[in-house]
Amino acid sequence: MRRIPDSLQSGMLFAVILLSVVLAVSCAKDRERPLTFAIGGTPSEFALWEKLMDRFQDETGIEVEVIRQPAGTDQRRQGLVIPLASRKSDPDVFLMDVVWIAQFAASGWLDPLEERARRDNLDLNAFFPGIIERVDLYGGRLIALPVLIDGGVLYYRKDLLESRGLSPPETWNELARIAVDIQNEERTTNPGFHGFVWQGAQYEGLVCNFLEVAGSNNGGIGFSNGKVVLDTPENRVAVLFMHDLPHRFRISPPSVYTEMKEEEARLEFQRGNALFERNWPYAWLLHESRGSAVKGKTGIAILPDFPSGRSVSTLGGWHVGISGFSDEKEKAWKLVRYLVSYKIQKEIALEFGNTPGLMDLYDDPEILSVLPHFSKLKEVFQHALPRPTVPYYAQLSDSIQRRLNAALTGGISPAEALSLAERDARRIADRYEKRSGAP
Amino acid sequence: MKRLLPPDLKEAAPFLLPLLGFIGAFVLIPVLGAVVNSTLRDVTFLKSEFAGLGNYAWLARNPAFWQSVKFTLLFVALSVPLQMLLGIVFALVLNEKVPLRGLLRACVLIPWVVPAAVSARIWELIYNYSFGLANFLWVATGIPEEPVNWLGTDAGAFIALVLADTWKTTPFVTVILLTGLSAIPEDIYLQAQVDGANLFKRFVKITVPLLKPAIVVALIFRTIDSLRVFDLNYVLTNGGPGGSTTSVSLHGYQYFLLGDFGYGSAVSVVLFLVALSLTLAYIKIGRIGQVIQ
Repeated sequence: MRRIPDSLQSGMLFAVILLSVVLAVSCAKDRERPLTFAIGGTPSEFALWEKLMDRFQDETGIEVEVIRQPAGTDQRRQGLVIPLASRKSDPDVFLMDVVWIAQFAASGWLDPLEERARRDNLDLNAFFPGIIERVDLYGGRLIALPVLIDGGVLYYRKDLLESRGLSPPETWNELARIAVDIQNEERTTNPGFHGFVWQGAQYEGLVCNFLEVAGSNNGGIGFSNGKVVLDTPENRVAVLFMHDLPHRFRISPPSVYTEMKEEEARLEFQRGNALFERNWPYAWLLHESRGSAVKGKTGIAILPDFPSGRSVSTLGGWHVGISGFSDEKEKAWKLVRYLVSYKIQKEIALEFGNTPGLMDLYDDPEILSVLPHFSKLKEVFQHALPRPTVPYYAQLSDSIQRRLNAALTGGISPAEALSLAERDARRIADRYEKRSGAP
Repeated sequence: MKRLLPPDLKEAAPFLLPLLGFIGAFVLIPVLGAVVNSTLRDVTFLKSEFAGLGNYAWLARNPAFWQSVKFTLLFVALSVPLQMLLGIVFALVLNEKVPLRGLLRACVLIPWVVPAAVSARIWELIYNYSFGLANFLWVATGIPEEPVNWLGTDAGAFIALVLADTWKTTPFVTVILLTGLSAIPEDIYLQAQVDGANLFKRFVKITVPLLKPAIVVALIFRTIDSLRVFDLNYVLTNGGPGGSTTSVSLHGYQYFLLGDFGYGSAVSVVLFLVALSLTLAYIKIGRIGQVIQ
């Protein structure tokens, strides 16, 4: 008799599980679907977003479910590409890295916003000039709006420069010279000290760094008659300089081209082991946080240039868009407007030091009293240069990254790397452009 | 010629069908789906259309693909023999009545239990330039003037990956071979000993032939696993420096991520075919050996 209750028990358990699953599914179906908003980030950022979404619900009566994405940019991209490629209606609203926008728009994943923007008198001039035209307009249609914007800046050790009567370098050669001197002196007490940390690992950040160094020498990723141009004298100078930082001047650690992404560079600087650091504005508040070895000793400046060029920052940031497959586009638009409103943008800035897309915020006295570096950032963002806005940018960047990174290791010469990168890039453009009708 | 269908098909069918259905739904259909997809121009931002062998033609012209093939084949060629060799040694030792054998057997399994991404992170901490264990020990010897950037050269990054993979997967080989060893009856050895066979002879004439099925199984699993190596280099080097440690899987994944599903599928199909033919080859070689005996 004992065996029967056993199987009965497991059978009942199974039935209960099945029943609860069925119940859960049917309940979910009955309830009205809330608006879904996909964002990624750290736990504390989620806390802020969820607070903002609660407030949005109180003000508008629209329920929003935050879809939490991982912090890594690649993972966030993957988390959006899969539902969008399979034409799912959620997420309705999502944040995109500035370099995804062209691909997402060309894929037909983004709902055009210009009619709603016109109807509601949204002032597009309130955003930084040039960014809307060069990034958020695709094929003449408005498909995204900037929520957070970014640009590369130079952090420096105020204490080490001031004690020697120096000001932050204006040219790359000046940076190298100062870094060599101070590194030599600092090494006597701190053998791990380096003059300059930046992002040279094989990933998107390397292209950002390259575009800044090359751009400040009138170089970059060029397009001439629809062909990608990379192997130019200006670019060779830039890549050689980047190669020389760890190998000839020896002011950057060799790990700059293997390990260094944003966080590795930030931590090195924050531990007091670097004189200069190229990074995004997010690093500022962390450098100034409690426990940081460089608290109160950090300065921020625009990036140096070569004598023939002028300082360039690569434009980064996160833009908001509405899924073309959303079935709640009007509600989604309300959320978009909310996210780019002055009040919310200001709150995002004050809470996290994140750099918002509205230009006037950089003159807001309340913000400047807490975030004095915002006055400098306004100048940076006004000159920020977007990366090429072709739908196949990711493939382009991927091939450029590996060639540049190989040049940084010293495995191949800058000229060789650039000519190989140019050949790869033209093949890629050939594959994706011929029939796509992209510019 | 053997008959294709068993004579008692009617009776067998109800038992076989569920399994066949399962394999069909979860193995066959996805594989066929990938093959079909690889013949399409399936790029998110282009109109989807039939491309024939277009993706394969692009693959043949893509230097990044060939770089990944080179890395993957070298990786298999070096790491699999290394793991097999170490696995056999460990298995032989652990098969003897050494003290604390149970504990040792359990310990050997630890690296295998650690998830690949986690073990890659651990090795990242070892190879790290500024605070890694490897440089800490290297500098402590007093020889070098400066720490070494272990992952900074193509060869360095390659060897680092082989070592990390060997650490992680040798236990797997050990366990498979241990099972094989324990299945060899003790009295064969005793008999051989009586016949005057020395230790080496006993190993070559008894252990190796009887262990062959286990060796083939371990080889197949390790080769396929190494061919599709992904998590280790994704975490440890992200395919760098200069793309030199990008495996075929990672290459395919990158294109999936970038929204070129047709090309990504073509890469997977090529990888699948290579793994399939290697598996068939191993099984065949294994069989021939058995027939000769």
